[in-house]
Amino acid sequence: MEPRKTPLYEQHKILKAKMVPFGDWLMPVSYSGVLAEHKAVRETSGLFDVSHMGEILVNGKGAESFLQKMTINDVTRLKDGSGQYTAILQPDGGMIDDLIIYRLEKSRYFICANASNTDKDYAWLKQQSASFQDVTIVNDSTHWGQLAVQGPKSKTAVAALLPESSRQALEHLNYMEIMGVMLFGGNALLARTGYTGELGYELYLPTEVIEKTWIALLETQGTSQIQPIGLGARDTLRLEACYLLYGSDMNDTFSPLEAGISWATKLAKSDFVGKAALVAQKSAGITRSLMAFRMLEDGIPRHDMVVYQGLEAVGKVTSGSVLPTVGGAGGLAYLDPRNVGVGAEVTIDIRGKRKLARLVEKPLYKAKIKG
Amino acid sequence: MVFPAELKYTKDHEWLDSTANTAKIGVTAYAIEQLGDIVHIELPKVGETFTAGSAFGTIESTKTVSDLYMPIAGKVVEVNQAAVGKPESLQSDPYKNGWLVKIEVAGKPDQAALLDAKSYEKYVAEHSD
Repeated sequence: MEPRKTPLYEQHKILKAKMVPFGDWLMPVSYSGVLAEHKAVRETSGLFDVSHMGEILVNGKGAESFLQKMTINDVTRLKDGSGQYTAILQPDGGMIDDLIIYRLEKSRYFICANASNTDKDYAWLKQQSASFQDVTIVNDSTHWGQLAVQGPKSKTAVAALLPESSRQALEHLNYMEIMGVMLFGGNALLARTGYTGELGYELYLPTEVIEKTWIALLETQGTSQIQPIGLGARDTLRLEACYLLYGSDMNDTFSPLEAGISWATKLAKSDFVGKAALVAQKSAGITRSLMAFRMLEDGIPRHDMVVYQGLEAVGKVTSGSVLPTVGGAGGLAYLDPRNVGVGAEVTIDIRGKRKLARLVEKPLYKAKIKG
Repeated sequence: MVFPAELKYTKDHEWLDSTANTAKIGVTAYAIEQLGDIVHIELPKVGETFTAGSAFGTIESTKTVSDLYMPIAGKVVEVNQAAVGKPESLQSDPYKNGWLVKIEVAGKPDQAALLDAKSYEKYVAEHSD
């Protein structure tokens, strides 16, 4: 099957990006190099093409109560123009996807879904909505592109793009809030969210205006202010901040409690799909917990490498890489919290050699999202 | 891409600088360009012996790990610890200071498996996207 291309494919070729298959998509993995790009985001700002992500609309008078039933977080706490991190679960508590839901208005919700799960999420929500009144679900992904602008200079970069009338609103846009903006004649949505641990924004754009927006962002600033960033650096950035990647750190065999997102799981709210399973799991005691570790010896941990406590295999690495800002290498693994915790030493089998690592507090890099 | 004329090359993108008895081995600028940022290198110990074509170490980028293959048979007499300590240095200098191992050549190497600079350049051009 031909890989899917985002509307920015030609721009990536112009910038001589290294392109790689990512699921169904052909995406830029790097432009100037993963380490240089990672540094640029932490020190100035970076521009990511994340148009492969999915956009699902949930509309209607019944949308709020539907989403309250389908997700782990408390949707009733949202106001117009605010969003929250959440997840949809199977009845057995396994995660279908992690999402961000924005309430645009009382009866209009905008969901950002993982690229690899968009069709699955849409099918699930559509199927579940059959037993609800006044709710329509639309998979709107083909109409939207998405850009992320992340880093200490991201606000300046985005402000330069906006009409004067929107710049005031940008000043007052708090973390997790979303606002509408006109860009190149298109109705865009600007959210103060991100996946890097830095101050940043995610722009949802009609596909017709995304190329103009990409070019404008790179041209109004120089490379000392903003640079194109690929998926390679996206992964090292999010891993340092201990943000999760569905497919690596969670899948439908792990619950949000095990994955470490109990902070987004409101067990006190009314019933939701998967709640009973989570309540039972919590009362029985969690036996697998996603923990962060840093290597004490040379070697780079990777997905699926086995973690040992002494001679016993006790878990597997879910995500691992070099940690360019934090230093050294490290990652995440599901381990039994009854046996190990922060400070414990484990070894990781890296291509046949056991290398020492230590469990540490999350996050590896403290997010600066407040700006 | 142009490659130093005085070196020999393999299809696995190693370069070889040999005399009758000793040789220096490294990876080419093309290999480094393909790998991206080099973050880790594992090399053998002095005294280890290898046959031609066998894996003697690994070179790792942010995304992938690649094996390093011996172009000719020999015994390791020196390992470039500076490169191991600062793997990113290979990116600016893969040929002179970027050598990875020095070996004592064993037997008579099979020259037919080695490419000269022009042939390697052609090989790389044919296999690039």
